[in-house]
Amino acid sequence: MTPKLFAASTVSLLLATVAQAADSGSIVIGVPVGLSGANSVVAPSVVQEAQLAVDEINTAGGVLGRKLQLEVADDASGAAGAQKAFDSLIYQKKVDALISMETSAARNAGLPAVSKGRVPFIYTSFYEGHSCNKYLFVDAWVPEQQVPPIVDNFAKEKNAKTYFLIGSDYAFGRGMLGFTRSYIEKTGGKVVGEEYLPMDGADWTPILSKLKDAKPDAIITSTAGGAPNVTLTKQMRAAGINLHYANLAVDEGTAKSMGADATGIYLSASYVTGIDSPENKKFLDAANKKFGADLKTPNDLSVPEYEAVYLYKLAVEKAGSTDPAKVIEAMPTVSFTGPRGAIVMDKQHHAPLTMYLGQVQSDGTVKVAATFKDVDPGEQCPNLK
Amino acid sequence: MPEDTALLNGRPASTTALEWRAPAAAALVAALIVWISPLVLGAFAANVLTRSMLYATLAVTVDLLWGFTGILTFGQAAFFGVGAYATAMTMTSLGSTPAWMAAALALAIVLPMVLGLVVGWLSFYHGSTPLYASVISLVFPIVVTQLVYSGGLLTGSSSGLVGYDTLPLDLEGFFRLSGLVMVAVTLAAWVFVRSDAGKLLVAVRDNDVRCAYLGVSPRRVQIMLTVALAGVAGVAGFLFAHASGVVAPENTGFLFGTQVVIWVALGGRGSLLGPVFATLAIDYLSASLSGDLPFLWQLVLGAAFVIIIIFLPDGVAGLARRASASIFRSSKQTRVPRIALAAPHSAVERSATLLKVSGLARSFGSLSVLENINLEIRPGELVSIVGPNGAGKTTLIRCLSDGSEPFKGVVEIGGKPMKGLTPDRVVALGVGRKFQVASIFESLTVAECLRLARTTSETPSGIGSAPRLSLPVASIEILRLTGLIDLIASPAGLLSHGMKQALELGMVLALEPRLILLDEPTAGLTKAERATIGTVLRHLTAEAGYAIILVEHDLDFVREISSRVVVLHQGRLVLDGAVDDVVNSETVRTIYSGGGHV
Amino acid sequence: MLLLLDILTTAAILFVVSVGLLAIFGVLKIINFAHGAWLTIGAYCAVVAVKLGLNPWAGLPIAFVAGALLGGVAELLIIRPLYRRPLDAILATWGLGIVIGQLIALAFGRDVQLIPNLMSGTVRVLSVDYSVYRLFMLFAALAIGVLFALTIEGTRLGLSARAVIMNETLARSLGIDTDRVRLATFMIGAGLAALAGVLLTPLTSVDPNMGVAWLIGAFMLVMVADTSYLALAAACLVFGGAQVLVSTFVSPVLGGISVAVLAALLLRINPRGFSRA
Repeated sequence: MTPKLFAASTVSLLLATVAQAADSGSIVIGVPVGLSGANSVVAPSVVQEAQLAVDEINTAGGVLGRKLQLEVADDASGAAGAQKAFDSLIYQKKVDALISMETSAARNAGLPAVSKGRVPFIYTSFYEGHSCNKYLFVDAWVPEQQVPPIVDNFAKEKNAKTYFLIGSDYAFGRGMLGFTRSYIEKTGGKVVGEEYLPMDGADWTPILSKLKDAKPDAIITSTAGGAPNVTLTKQMRAAGINLHYANLAVDEGTAKSMGADATGIYLSASYVTGIDSPENKKFLDAANKKFGADLKTPNDLSVPEYEAVYLYKLAVEKAGSTDPAKVIEAMPTVSFTGPRGAIVMDKQHHAPLTMYLGQVQSDGTVKVAATFKDVDPGEQCPNLK
Repeated sequence: MPEDTALLNGRPASTTALEWRAPAAAALVAALIVWISPLVLGAFAANVLTRSMLYATLAVTVDLLWGFTGILTFGQAAFFGVGAYATAMTMTSLGSTPAWMAAALALAIVLPMVLGLVVGWLSFYHGSTPLYASVISLVFPIVVTQLVYSGGLLTGSSSGLVGYDTLPLDLEGFFRLSGLVMVAVTLAAWVFVRSDAGKLLVAVRDNDVRCAYLGVSPRRVQIMLTVALAGVAGVAGFLFAHASGVVAPENTGFLFGTQVVIWVALGGRGSLLGPVFATLAIDYLSASLSGDLPFLWQLVLGAAFVIIIIFLPDGVAGLARRASASIFRSSKQTRVPRIALAAPHSAVERSATLLKVSGLARSFGSLSVLENINLEIRPGELVSIVGPNGAGKTTLIRCLSDGSEPFKGVVEIGGKPMKGLTPDRVVALGVGRKFQVASIFESLTVAECLRLARTTSETPSGIGSAPRLSLPVASIEILRLTGLIDLIASPAGLLSHGMKQALELGMVLALEPRLILLDEPTAGLTKAERATIGTVLRHLTAEAGYAIILVEHDLDFVREISSRVVVLHQGRLVLDGAVDDVVNSETVRTIYSGGGHV
Repeated sequence: MLLLLDILTTAAILFVVSVGLLAIFGVLKIINFAHGAWLTIGAYCAVVAVKLGLNPWAGLPIAFVAGALLGGVAELLIIRPLYRRPLDAILATWGLGIVIGQLIALAFGRDVQLIPNLMSGTVRVLSVDYSVYRLFMLFAALAIGVLFALTIEGTRLGLSARAVIMNETLARSLGIDTDRVRLATFMIGAGLAALAGVLLTPLTSVDPNMGVAWLIGAFMLVMVADTSYLALAAACLVFGGAQVLVSTFVSPVLGGISVAVLAALLLRINPRGFSRA
């Protein structure tokens, strides 16, 4: 944290403490995010995207004449921290909506508070799917959208028959790899190993030794975003493992910071900076203008945040107020065209998305190998209307 | 006069009723505050404080263990977490009908208690150190956390458990339930530590060796306390699982455990109320500031913790106590019991051999300290053991009183072999030992020390302080002759050296031991004090039929009171006979003047 | 073969992390609960070195010096006043660890820092490709162990330290300035911890709380080893081996606690070295 940023946050903190209540009339959006812990590598980008959207909307006149205001809280990337963060945002700061990217552990822990507090919650992180709550909306991908392109590519283009799966031991890791295993087996492949470490675990040595012994054709990993990705990849490369490697949970920003170790990793994402569309160009220009050298690479974990703020704006305008019941009724009907294209959360609170299969290059950017338009998320929440 | 009434500032000796009144009133007021609060507090504060009050309950258990019993434990969090997880797992996997909820409560109490038994067995054994106990208390929360992580879908691993059905209470209901449990536990702890049984905790902390030699196994006290408080922590965990709806691995970990220790330290260990208020204040502030000043708050807390440990070990409560003492100048309301005469134990048979030592040998590696000691002692004998320094006298006493000493040979007390028995079990055979350096309980009053000495004959009350203290005639004699009877309300740590020796002797005699082992009882005493002790000892053997073994250097004292003298030299018994024969013998003179070395 | 290399290198890493703590435990008779914070300080020295544009290896001397200086300050201000209260000294060092962690978070941010590896790649060892850096750790552990042994056995400070370890009161009455020995030992132990922190950076992520995970394992090993560095090496080998075996054949999660659990059980059966506390 640079001294400038520190000074700025201290000043704003003091101001916030003095004027505790939100400016009368402004709409408060709560952002519980992993400022510390496993997600701390990606959190700054998420906060930046939220800020960008809020500033753009406020400059254009706000929502129903009211300004948007952000409240960021640290959920420590985990369940216990999320409980505190959600409590603080819902009951102390009395936010009108929650829009955030979080680990699945944090999201699950926050949902009871969301239901009790009746706060619309747009979850902007890709995840393992099947999280259902009438206040919860998801504008990021689920395994049904992300995994098939990867496995199909490995099986058809690279003739991979045996796979080794590694993940972080929580809902996301297990959910993703569970889906991956069944898809692999459905398409004729075989899983020769499936290993997990707790989210905070950093020593992958025994798992990597097992991997070497198993001699698979390809590796597919699904760790928590941020630190676990980095340690696993680092240690994998240090152990000399250079097999076909697809990472279900890495984003462009983390890949860039991994440096040379990330070269060759396959990923399947709903956003890459190289998307050639006028909306993406406009978005990147605005982001560069606002943050300059401090800009954290917009990525698959943070761009959905930007779009989600706009989706909330549209929902509130359609509903005519911030009343939770009206907003959640309007939410599945509004559409926003952002850097990722047109986003509508109308499939059981989830959104069809265009997916890009790509490979990380030596300079950290992602080269797109194939594009899949409007992939359906499948039956995520059949019991929700 | 002293043994009939105990008046202090004109107030009569308090009875159990008075002890109940003040804390019960305070608890009632606290309960009322808890009941009304949800109506005035906002949802956020109520939510946070519900959890804080459960943490405060946990803090009380830590204070009992650390502040009162001297066991620095980071592990109460693990018991709390086990209770919470047992509850959540039952609700998730088995069901949430009222029957299952009751089962969950039972599991939340029993599982932590079983774990507490294991941990207690591991941490507290004859010869264990406080450091080892603390280390174990740090390791087992980590083990519990890792077990949770390795539990996959059953425990939710990193995700924790969420979404299970909870008790059908609303926010106010949970607040009140947590608050009332906190008040109840605090009240129970308050009453317990002020009762006679509660003083055992302080005794174990101050001087666990003395405890053992009063027939009370300190290990058993520590283990029982651990098990009981594990159950309490489990109940707090059960309520937490229901009130918060989320159970995560962080709730079992040692980081949480260290937080509780920090709250107790800041509040003031050993004060009960200090930790409660500190926990409520700090946890609430942490939650309120979590978004705004997270770094600075933790930094301030950490720095405050370090400063308090170094400069203010009694915490804020200690500060408050000192401030109020200087402002109010209140007299410490010491409840002083009435001393009464206790009915003596069954009479001792005069003829039977009380102590039989055959072939006793003790060596440290290649150094042989005792060799081939043979000795027989009958009731009514007053045997003095003399010999130059390094002859092995104290080692001999130790072998006679502590069966866990690795000696060779046989030692029988009243016909029963004592090898392998820990000191508290040897005391049960009828042995009392007085140490060279007065071994008493410095934080307790004279009366409390004496009452603890009577633990094996009169089980102390767990809820109050008995108004009467029965002591055998020998103890009362000592108290009267030394003037200690006028100081029974005084803290033992403030006594003069001679008075401390007298107190210890009084405590040992209160055991009514058939065999008394005294290690240099006259060291540092004035001539008058020596004469007093001598009279009592002679009286004990001649009339009460006790046997006394005395290690002494003062040959005049030996000559005056002993019935028999044993001479030890370089680990061997060289003379054993009547006083005059031995004292005047050539051998003794040679030994004491430095000659006669082999 | 892979398993054997894993065991040896794990033992080496454990040794490097614990040796500083051993020195402090032996001479000062307390467990420095801020040890994890010193590991973190070392790692952040490496971060600073990289930010300044230096070779990442420059982090090693920077860390040792910084760790030693901060250790000196800590010993004077915090450990010394608590000389007669060892359990309280442990608590105070824990508080110190918290303070240091927060200061680092204030200065560098809570997020994870990523720095280039000191060494990367693999090398072929007897039919197996193994991480170069882990093999390097083997040599690092040996080098540190030898240096440590030479200091203890060959220097005046080492002699005084051994005297203090055996009987502090006697040492003082023989004219040894025990205060200075304690200070010097704490500084060296802290410096070694910071050094270990730098050496850990290629293996784990750098964030303000990274040291805590290593603290428990390190001090369990130190308690088993008591005051002997040879015993520490043996303990690292045995318990490190157990950790690798359990991680590989049972579960990585349980492997993580095997050091602590086995050490606790061993100490219960044979508490040699505990009689001092």
